[in-house]
Amino acid sequence: MNNKNLKYITLPWRDNNPITVQVLGICSCLAVTAQLKPAVFMAVSVTAVTVLSNLIISLLRNTIPPRIRIIVQLVVVSTLVVLVDQVLKAYFFDVSKQLSVFVGLIITNCIVMGRLEAFAMHNPPLPSVCDGLGNGLGYSFILILLGFTRELLGNGTLWGYPVTERLHDIGYENNGLMLMPPMALILIGLLIWIINSRKA
Amino acid sequence: MKKFSNIYILLYSGALLAAAAIVLSVANMLLAPRQQHNEQLEQKMLILKASGIEATARNADRLFSDSISTVNLGSDEEPLPAYRCGDRHIIELHGNGLWGPIWGYLCFDAQWTVCGAVFDHKGETPGLGGNISTEEFARRFVGKSCLDATAQFIPIILKKNANNNSKHEVDAISGGTMTSNGVTNMLHDCLAPYSTCMQQTVRAQVTSDEQ
Repeated sequence: MNNKNLKYITLPWRDNNPITVQVLGICSCLAVTAQLKPAVFMAVSVTAVTVLSNLIISLLRNTIPPRIRIIVQLVVVSTLVVLVDQVLKAYFFDVSKQLSVFVGLIITNCIVMGRLEAFAMHNPPLPSVCDGLGNGLGYSFILILLGFTRELLGNGTLWGYPVTERLHDIGYENNGLMLMPPMALILIGLLIWIINSRKA
Repeated sequence: MKKFSNIYILLYSGALLAAAAIVLSVANMLLAPRQQHNEQLEQKMLILKASGIEATARNADRLFSDSISTVNLGSDEEPLPAYRCGDRHIIELHGNGLWGPIWGYLCFDAQWTVCGAVFDHKGETPGLGGNISTEEFARRFVGKSCLDATAQFIPIILKKNANNNSKHEVDAISGGTMTSNGVTNMLHDCLAPYSTCMQQTVRAQVTSDEQ
């Protein structure tokens, strides 16, 4: 793997992060980050869908008629998402119940379509896969960070296991606001603020 | 530009759809047995959990057939299905939450006092209404009853700052008011048909105690 491909993978982690820099995929970020476990599975699912859809669209890119390219992308993405949903239902039943509708909503995740339109339509398969992987991981990083923070501060647990139990004896209380979707937006806002101020 | 003529576009989209349809049908056919098995296992595990039997996905099938049987608490014309585990009855609940269906099982002891509960949901918000599937929430139901001292039917309700001494009130979920209302409705709708049966058992017990 040459340096250019490696860069496609690492660039979206910080400098071009899909969530904090491109501000894409915010919707699912608010919805599934109240707990760590669904956030991790969502991150893995979205990464799988971005990588595979980038690969397929990149392979098809010279055959896709420009006039229906968005529809073609949509068909590919939705097929993959339904597949992911079916696999989760068959092998990770409890997680699939927790994620419920949000798996289906990966179809509308702007990161997936954004990468297809901006990258996979004009680049060969290997760089496209790297780009998809990088963006998926960039998204995953923020999602897991938010899931970690919100579950820890909001519910006092991590992956369902109690963490802050002892602190409750000395007067610590969970912050229920952390579990509300608006708090995810505020946390993302703070993250973007920190990242932008470090760049300046 | 001949490559992208109208005919090409039509054929291309047709072929793409056919390919997608084939992939999805094959995946569905391959995975369906596993998914159905998961769903049945899930139901059995919920029933076992409500009746206080710890089960894992591995031993749920065996435990279920060993300790749970199905009974009809109504008549042949109006059947009231329930599960029986020793002298306890487990009643299935199903209703609507905020985003989709919610369901659960309540386990009653011989005096029709709740001795175990489980709830689950399809699409309630994780961390808010979704908390009805937690054990902490289910434990709030233990000791509750839908019969008062004179064996009148009083539905169990969820409300904020519920009186914990009351046998008919359960603390609602903070941030999950709509889901809590759904649970209240579900409890009423699914338990009311059983009220006659509950009253008969409790009254029969009172009479036999007096004798």
